[in-house]
Amino acid sequence: MNPLLEQFLSESRDLLENTGKNLMQLEDAPDDQGIINELFRSVHTLKGNSGLFAFPEMTRVLHAGEDLMGMVRGGHATYSRELADRLLEAMDFVGLLCGEIESTERIDASRSAEAQHIAEGLRRLMPNLIPSEIAAKVFGLNDASLTIANALVLPIDYLSSGLPFASIPEAVRMAAFRQCQRGDSLHWVAYKPERECFFHGDDPLNSARQTPGLVWGRVLPSEPLPPLSELDTYSCALGFHLFTTAAHEELAEYYRHIPDQVEITVVDPLWLVIPQGDLDGPAIEFGVLADLLRLLKEGDRTALKQRAQTLLGGSTAELWLSSSLRWLICLLDIDRNGMPHDSSLLRLLIQSIASGTPPDWTGSSPADSSAAEIADVIADGYMDANPPRPLSEDDQIALDQILAAQRQVLLLDDRPAWHVGRIKSVAMVLTNIFQAVGDTSARSDVQAALTDALSTGNNTLLLTLLDAWLSASKDSQSEPGLRCRLDANDDASDRTVGSANIGPAPENIPDKAPADEVVKFGRRVEDSLANSRSLKVDQAKIDRLMNLIGELVVSKNALPYLAERAESQFGVRELSREIKGQYSIINRIADEMQDAIMQVRMMAVSFIFQRFPRLVRDISRKLGKEVQLVLEGEQTEADKNIIESLADPLIHIIRNSLDHGLETPEVRLAAGKPATGKLIIRAIQQADRVVIEIIDDGKGIDPVAIKRKAYEKGIIDEAAIERISDQEAINLIFAAGLSTAEVVSDLSGRGVGMDVVRSAVEKINGTVLLESELGKGTAIRISLPLSMAVTQVMVIESDRQLFGVPMDHVVETMRIPRSVIHSIKQSPTAVLRGRIVPLKSLNSLLGIAAIPQANSDDELAVLLVQAGTIELGLLVDGFQETIGVIQKPLSGFLSNLSAFSGSALMGDGSVLMIINIREIV
Amino acid sequence: MPIEFKKNRAIFRDEVTAEEAEGLLEWLQTRPTAKADLSTCIHLHTANLQVLMTARTGVSNWPKNAELRAWLEPALKFEE
Repeated sequence: MNPLLEQFLSESRDLLENTGKNLMQLEDAPDDQGIINELFRSVHTLKGNSGLFAFPEMTRVLHAGEDLMGMVRGGHATYSRELADRLLEAMDFVGLLCGEIESTERIDASRSAEAQHIAEGLRRLMPNLIPSEIAAKVFGLNDASLTIANALVLPIDYLSSGLPFASIPEAVRMAAFRQCQRGDSLHWVAYKPERECFFHGDDPLNSARQTPGLVWGRVLPSEPLPPLSELDTYSCALGFHLFTTAAHEELAEYYRHIPDQVEITVVDPLWLVIPQGDLDGPAIEFGVLADLLRLLKEGDRTALKQRAQTLLGGSTAELWLSSSLRWLICLLDIDRNGMPHDSSLLRLLIQSIASGTPPDWTGSSPADSSAAEIADVIADGYMDANPPRPLSEDDQIALDQILAAQRQVLLLDDRPAWHVGRIKSVAMVLTNIFQAVGDTSARSDVQAALTDALSTGNNTLLLTLLDAWLSASKDSQSEPGLRCRLDANDDASDRTVGSANIGPAPENIPDKAPADEVVKFGRRVEDSLANSRSLKVDQAKIDRLMNLIGELVVSKNALPYLAERAESQFGVRELSREIKGQYSIINRIADEMQDAIMQVRMMAVSFIFQRFPRLVRDISRKLGKEVQLVLEGEQTEADKNIIESLADPLIHIIRNSLDHGLETPEVRLAAGKPATGKLIIRAIQQADRVVIEIIDDGKGIDPVAIKRKAYEKGIIDEAAIERISDQEAINLIFAAGLSTAEVVSDLSGRGVGMDVVRSAVEKINGTVLLESELGKGTAIRISLPLSMAVTQVMVIESDRQLFGVPMDHVVETMRIPRSVIHSIKQSPTAVLRGRIVPLKSLNSLLGIAAIPQANSDDELAVLLVQAGTIELGLLVDGFQETIGVIQKPLSGFLSNLSAFSGSALMGDGSVLMIINIREIV
Repeated sequence: MPIEFKKNRAIFRDEVTAEEAEGLLEWLQTRPTAKADLSTCIHLHTANLQVLMTARTGVSNWPKNAELRAWLEPALKFEE
């Protein structure tokens, strides 16, 4: 993971924590401007940072949160529980995304919808201000600069009016049409950047230019552009229409930062088939149209295509007719999904040639029989359908003028390269004229004359024909100055390339925009350098340091042995003294070093406490209870591992307290207590231990009920019901097996037993104790070592071996005469300080075949230990000093030895096994 | 300078960023007949395009970059 991202994640976590904390504080003091400001800053920073990376989902949610907080800050929205709920939800979502980024370094695109949903939820809480006003409020922009911004939101709703495909040049459409028949999808993107997009470093034109699969695009004002004097350079008033062959997913991914600003529409390829052109050209001869329809009906597509090509060759490229024909050929060329295009589609296209209106593809289903019938009628009966009709006087004059002009063209005696085209053009004009006047018989004459002219290169026949018609005409006056259109051109494609015909997307143009953000980021880093004196270090590094110092302590302890050998073995007392001197220095430094590293690992309990306000708030609101949470001693410190492993047990306990300890307001009032319950969580340092108390003033625990339950579960026997005290009974809830279904409804929620809590606490060498008074409340006390790193152990001797017993379990050491040991049911016991204590030999517990050794006064060494509620006297051979050791867990197959919790190295290099008292008693 | 302002002609070079837009606007506000020379321009930020479109600035030379030209030509062709 790149370091910047790592830093981002770690900072985001801090900021999220901060945000959560502030929100909780705001709950108590909704008008505190300081907290609101801080909250806004946190969210703002988070948003800014997230913008550095490609995490649009995160940015979107944060942006909405920021806007909302901005409005709260500006007094335009009021703080409410609903608002806090939404913001907390949003922050949780961001936290979730952080987790996802940490594990995969990206956010799954599927989060996009969720992000949008959350962002919308936040925005719903804002009073109905238009975005630019929000921007003005949030960024403190001057209102005057936004006056033109009032005509808000241009809807990107083109669907109702149909997409403007006609504005795309035909050649582009046709190329795309051919491309999509090869499997590419077609999409229309309407991109309306938000007004403030320039502030986010967006360059919509660049985004549009880089759109994947772009084949065509245009830029349009998305609203009437203001007069130049009123233009706001920083408010985007342009929009884009894009036509692309990229897949929808690709587009969604590309525009994932701004899904609300683009509308992507899937394009049916048929929408592209829009004949365009000059309708004023000569109308197509009805017979030609019928001919095409007949060929289509007969299914002779090859002939149909040939016919269309001939027609196209003879008509001006800009004409509607030509455009329709090109599309007809295109459709004939290309199969649709491997199948030839349906004839009904082709028929619609041919009909549009005549009608001069684009085919209505929505009615193009083969079942549309009325259109088919009409076409059939036309195809069958075209000969009689259009009888010759007399011309009006004006038409006659026009006709004669046209014929005269054609004649002049034919009389031109130069032979330019376009001679053939010229002749074709004349022939086409003549054909069209006769079609217009209804003289269908003349068509074949013209065709024959054209063929002749093309083959011989001599246009005499055509000229003769023309002359004959001209003389047949009554008023045969010709006007030499008359010009007619001579721009027939077979190659239509050159001419149809218009506006933005865009090939493959060009090389990436580096986006200038991020530069701003980088600058911002840099500045912020400097800020934090200036006022932050803390250093973030990977825990693994600290752990390594810890291990090294442990080894140093052990090897340092070898020096006294060396000094002793120097004196006793080699007789150099001087050297021995110097070694001892050096040792005391090294010893002091090593101790300090160890202490310093411990300090590094120390964490304030606030690390776990800070999540409780939120937890308490959520649960109590869900349960409909009023709870006042009091946190005390948050600055108390303990080793990081201890603090961390404490989190889960504490959450269980708090949940239980809220769920089953504290009552609902009505019950509380009925019991004469204040409606609001009180939950105190307190951390206190006591010598080398941390005590955490969770105290509630709820209904307490009924020892009788517990005893009964425990008896039913077989945890205690009948005799015990009478014997055990209420205090002991209550602590039975920590016993494994009591957290069964019935008890769940009574004491613990969600199937989490208190035995889980106990074992978690005991794992870190802690103890847990519960006190409760029925009707008054419950207190749970967890006592933990400050650090797990160094364990104080008492070294004991048994059968000439040394063992360590953790001091946590040692109650007292004593020597008792053999005479005071009595046997009760074959078990040795002794009365110690007025209590009957069972005695057991350590040797027998460890399976060592030796009896405890008494000293010269026939006294046995008894180590009184306590494990949980059990008290036991261990018979050992002798006691030695108490030392601090760094306990290493047993590894490999040794880890199966449950009698030992670990091993430690002694100063002389020997290994000390640490006895797991809990296991052996 | 990505935009070089001559007497009555603004020459756009390479990539023209959003920062130029404000200056361009001011310049154009006092020169209604000014022309833009885009021949060596590779990209111009939307903000600049918006200014040119609003000012209905004529273009004396279209970009050599055909793709950019295809974008700009329909947007910046004004019937005189």
